[in-house]
Amino acid sequence: MTDHLLVESGGPESGAACERFAGDALRLLQDGHHVVLFLVENGVTAALPGASQGVAAFLRSGGELWVDTFSAAQRALVAGDLLPGSRMADMDEVADRLLAPGSRAVWH
Amino acid sequence: MAWTPPRTEVLLQLSGAPHQTELVGSALRLTTSLLDRGARVQVWACGDATRLTWAGLGDTKPRNYADWDREYPSAPRIVRELLTDHPDRLHWYVCAFCSEERGTADQIPQVRRRPLFKFAEHVAAADKCLTLGVC
Repeated sequence: MTDHLLVESGGPESGAACERFAGDALRLLQDGHHVVLFLVENGVTAALPGASQGVAAFLRSGGELWVDTFSAAQRALVAGDLLPGSRMADMDEVADRLLAPGSRAVWH
Repeated sequence: MAWTPPRTEVLLQLSGAPHQTELVGSALRLTTSLLDRGARVQVWACGDATRLTWAGLGDTKPRNYADWDREYPSAPRIVRELLTDHPDRLHWYVCAFCSEERGTADQIPQVRRRPLFKFAEHVAAADKCLTLGVC
């Protein structure tokens, strides 16, 4: 099992790539890896209910969904607006995850 | 002996236009968080991101008419101050090809211009490589 950190910065409005990226996160999860999907910039909108089927499926399957506190605040989003089970996280936590031995990261 | 890039925990390859999205802000936030944890970081600016440290931008942004007396630091100044604060743990490289192509070869002295074909050396000198943005 490998720790994966996947960072989505575009969100649903950037096109199909966001869904495909969330699908990658889900497949890694289903393969038995530990996966954190971190939403940043416009990517945070993917955590709104109904915005992304892929992100919702990832969360339902046991993935960790992190939403950037800073990006959410810039868009006037609070935790209560987001999918239940997601959680706010800041860049320090992302740095910790990135520096963890053996972890792999992709920024999209 | 030929110069080789110092070893770092993380290499951030930064591409894309500086003012098109929030990419640069995110990259700087992540860089700061990594440095705060004691990590060694190198940034490789490629494509339009080479404009971030173009000397011609000066130290401050143009004045804000709505807040005339406030001074806003330019991107080169922010990078320079980060480098000054972390002289042994942060390294900023600029793709020479991309900067010349964009007329921004005149970079601030704190960054190092590197030929594109040397990028592999930087990847090899980092434990992890993260690519942010697209050219």
